[in-house]
Amino acid sequence: MDPQSQPKLTKLNQELKYRLRHWLPGIFALAGILLSIIIWSFLIQNEYVHQRFVTSLKSALPWIVLVAGIAIALLGGIGIRLLQLMHERSATLARIDQNYKNEIVERMRAEDTKQKLEIALLQGQKLQAIGTLAGGIAHDFNNILYAIIGYVEMARDDVAEDSLIHKNLGKVLEASKRGQDLVSRILAFGRRHIHHEYQPLHLKTITESVFALLKPTIPASVSIDIIGMTDDYLIVGDQTQLHQVFVNIVNNAVDAMDGEGDIKIIVSRILANDPFLNQFPDIDNKNYYRIDIMDTGHGMDQHTMERIFEPFFTTKEVGKGTGLGLSTVHAIMQDHQGGITVTSQLGHGTTFTLLLPEYQSALNPEEKEHGYHTVSGR
Amino acid sequence: MATILLVEDDELVRDMLAQMLQRASHHVLQATNGDEAIDVLKIAHPDIMVTDIIMPKKSGITLISEVRNKHPDMEIIAISGGGRLDPTGYLDLSESIGAAVSFEKPVDKAALLMAIDLLLQGKSETTSQS
Repeated sequence: MDPQSQPKLTKLNQELKYRLRHWLPGIFALAGILLSIIIWSFLIQNEYVHQRFVTSLKSALPWIVLVAGIAIALLGGIGIRLLQLMHERSATLARIDQNYKNEIVERMRAEDTKQKLEIALLQGQKLQAIGTLAGGIAHDFNNILYAIIGYVEMARDDVAEDSLIHKNLGKVLEASKRGQDLVSRILAFGRRHIHHEYQPLHLKTITESVFALLKPTIPASVSIDIIGMTDDYLIVGDQTQLHQVFVNIVNNAVDAMDGEGDIKIIVSRILANDPFLNQFPDIDNKNYYRIDIMDTGHGMDQHTMERIFEPFFTTKEVGKGTGLGLSTVHAIMQDHQGGITVTSQLGHGTTFTLLLPEYQSALNPEEKEHGYHTVSGR
Repeated sequence: MATILLVEDDELVRDMLAQMLQRASHHVLQATNGDEAIDVLKIAHPDIMVTDIIMPKKSGITLISEVRNKHPDMEIIAISGGGRLDPTGYLDLSESIGAAVSFEKPVDKAALLMAIDLLLQGKSETTSQS
């Protein structure tokens, strides 16, 4: 059937229903009159019926027919009107019911979004507090290490170079310098927002340079596919920091897959009014790029997922991870006015979703053609 | 050999640096903050002042700005771990208000001693020219 004829048929159907409802009282009245005539014909032709009754019935017949007709007409009309009212009322109730259902679903959705935002906000505040605390501790610890290194260096000068004491003090120096390296990482985490040049960047250039950098270190048994990337995806950011983000997540993915599996990077453009953005706090009303980095690794449980961005939280063996990688990534994404979320299931891999704001002037073709000005970040 | 005023609030670091400078044959005067350093400078005339920046009571920045004009012959070396901020910010500031050179903690021993030697050399050349 021609799909366009469907609305016409529906309209015709409605028209018929309307007419029937209004003609029914008349039809009932006619039916009553006809029935009376039939009964009357039966009575006058039946010789067994008492002649007197027939006579009186004959004289009363016009009245009976009239009253019966009126009664049928009235009752039919009232009945139909009642049916009509019932139908209308049912439709209204159904509509109200649907509205309530929609409202409940909407409220549940809003409540869910609110809850997610609160968790993300709390997580952000917690990370900020830990970062500040870590920065403070790191500064004092730096002084302690500086004293240790200074004293050990002097003590080494006092003993013969071929002595065991000299050798052992060398080990103390080595350990202290490892500690110093850790401190400088923590301080870098606390100071990450200082001295960074934010400038318009092609998202494609960043990912390409990251994978050129990572390629020699990734086993051949791990495949990396980038889907949906186009040349005109522009963001504003610090290239080094964004490299750090991608390198960190991809390296974690490779580790999670024990050196074998697939990494998919799916890039898409999200419009400002997309409900997907509701789960991110501190999001402005602008377009974003969404980058999903999916691996086929061993995944993680809920507890790990909740703590994954906390500084010093690591699932790696002692000495293999500082627990600062993803917390720094989280901080960098916030500094870029973007966001990061993680979804995972044990045994089914992990997906990190990055969100970076689109460069606003990207829509200006003149600027697009002639290059970009450097802008300062936060 | 030179007289060096060492201003540092952290006792461990101060003692370590004092020993390091003494081993390099320098005479070391010590102060734990800017106020104490001002008191020391009332009675002594060190060749060089090595000062930390973030200290209680009087910071290294205030100290440098106060003593720069009063003791034009004294060279100043600023050192800082930076607290919760990037130390390069404080160190740049210290150089702009009068420190001859600045170092981020942990300071390399050889670099600090070399800086002191170069500053002393510069001072003696200036003195001999005048």
